[in-house]
Amino acid sequence: MATVEVRDLRKRYQDFLALDGVSLRAETGQLVTLLGPSGCGKSTTLRCLAGFLEPNGGDILVEGESILSTPANRRGFGVVFQNYALFPHMTVAENIGYGLKLQKLPKGEIETRVYDVMKLVRLDGLGDRLPREISGGQQQRVALARALVLKPRLLLLDEPLANLDARLRDEVRWLIRDLQQQSGITAFYVTHDQSEAMAMSDMVAVMKAGRVAQFATPREIYQKPVERYVADFTGEANFLSCDEVAVTGEGRYSIAVAGTTLDLGGVAGITSDTPVELLLRPEALRLTSVDEATFRGTVTKSAFLGAALHCEITLPGGGVLKLSAEPNANVRTGDEVGIAIDHSHAWLMPEVAP
Amino acid sequence: MSDATSTFSYQRPVGLTFGVLIVVLYVFLMAPLVMIIGASFTESLMIEFPPKGLSMQWYVEFFNRQDLVDGLLMSLRIGAITAIVTTAVAVMAAMAGQVISGRLSGWFQLGMTLPLLVPELLTAVGLLFFLYKIELGRTVIGLQMGHILMSFPYAYVSIAAALRQVPGSLEEASASLGATGWQTFRLVILPLIMPGLAMGAIFAFINSFDLYTISLLLKPLGGNTLPLALFDFLTYEFKPTAAAAATLSILLSIGGVALVQKLVGLQRAF
Repeated sequence: MATVEVRDLRKRYQDFLALDGVSLRAETGQLVTLLGPSGCGKSTTLRCLAGFLEPNGGDILVEGESILSTPANRRGFGVVFQNYALFPHMTVAENIGYGLKLQKLPKGEIETRVYDVMKLVRLDGLGDRLPREISGGQQQRVALARALVLKPRLLLLDEPLANLDARLRDEVRWLIRDLQQQSGITAFYVTHDQSEAMAMSDMVAVMKAGRVAQFATPREIYQKPVERYVADFTGEANFLSCDEVAVTGEGRYSIAVAGTTLDLGGVAGITSDTPVELLLRPEALRLTSVDEATFRGTVTKSAFLGAALHCEITLPGGGVLKLSAEPNANVRTGDEVGIAIDHSHAWLMPEVAP
Repeated sequence: MSDATSTFSYQRPVGLTFGVLIVVLYVFLMAPLVMIIGASFTESLMIEFPPKGLSMQWYVEFFNRQDLVDGLLMSLRIGAITAIVTTAVAVMAAMAGQVISGRLSGWFQLGMTLPLLVPELLTAVGLLFFLYKIELGRTVIGLQMGHILMSFPYAYVSIAAALRQVPGSLEEASASLGATGWQTFRLVILPLIMPGLAMGAIFAFINSFDLYTISLLLKPLGGNTLPLALFDFLTYEFKPTAAAAATLSILLSIGGVALVQKLVGLQRAF
């Protein structure tokens, strides 16, 4: 149980700057996700936290104390790896009991604690199997149990679901989140999957080229991204470029876009010469009759997806809007349609954060 | 129809040639072994094949010859020490080799296998000069050092290959669970490289048992390894005792391989 603060962390490889001043903070019991494409520095940050890598600059504080001089084996952090990293020559029970055995605990206590944690991650009865004899989902649960049985101060998860198929991924994801919340362990979670990040996290850090592009709650990241990169990486998004921007208040703007004027919220500090984009998430858009519409356009693609009808509508100015319509909506390619927007879900942001 | 025929007529000669090649290869490899083992059981006074009659007399004769038995014991002792020392050093070298990265790594690998690349005679001559300099010329310790040097690459290659199969994340996982470097080595790495380690030790032993040139130059006064003793023996006598000695050596090698198979399984050793 610990608060963790990462301060201006830097890591340089010969000619590559992997971390360029990463700052983050996790309160006790929070799950903080590091989200980004490969090479953005999310795993490097985690490996610095774990003590597998030594940063070139910055600091990592746990409960206000720097841990940089503490070696990995004395940090007391649990680590769960993408490839599970189970010891192939040990049984499931031996893998889970490994850390307890190193602490020289009495045999009986080790057995009880291993048994309890195996029940917690639903591995009962598999104690005598070798890792290669169980499924990928079970292996990842062994890895999780092996870390949790030591009651770590901090849990570090490096893309733990990446090697699992879609069905197992869901199952293990909720297991991780439940266990983390029940035990109140502070956790850092690395992933490139935005839906995982949204569903599990208390806080999300979207990373871009060795920096944190935005560090906020999942809701804020999704609805109020600070730049196009963040919006793009956190879900389906439509972007429209704006013709004119006028500041009407603190974080309030009036813009001219695709032949109409909109009043909406946006990132604070935008001026009339900032290159900006209008973010419209698909759920902010609704098909409507041409006369009630904010935008008018032509349907250029429509595909029936079962639960929804996916439409792409080209506006007269050339912008394209993607949206999900009601599955039985009578929309065909070439139709002239109107689109109403929910102003509370429209968001103005700079192309690139300053 | 004609298509199918042409496919088959294309494949069969290749399969046949390959099969014949395998048979020829095996005959070529096995024939000397069969000859020498057969000849060791002959009743006649000359090494000959096929053997005349069946007798164990040459084995009895071998164990009655003090010079040959001394050679055998010397070879066994030097081989055993060679296996132990090379294995221990090779494990350390292979682990160091993993830490070295980039261009240096290639040079390091090359350096570790250098005794294989330099002609044995040159190494032997160089070593002889060196050993005389440090006053170990023509001593058992000097001979032992030569054997360790010549056998090291075999142990190194086998152990380094085994070590490369151990993912780095296992070491990290072990550390994150509280293990020191030594604990990680003893509880995780060592058990996982055991097959390669056993294989390396046996390779080193067999290689040491087989060394001739370097033993000839470095041997202590009045001490012979088995190959040297056998050569001396064959210079004056051409009796099947030599065949019996060779057969014993072959049995030793087969025993070594069987031991690996029993301990770790050959499949895992390679």
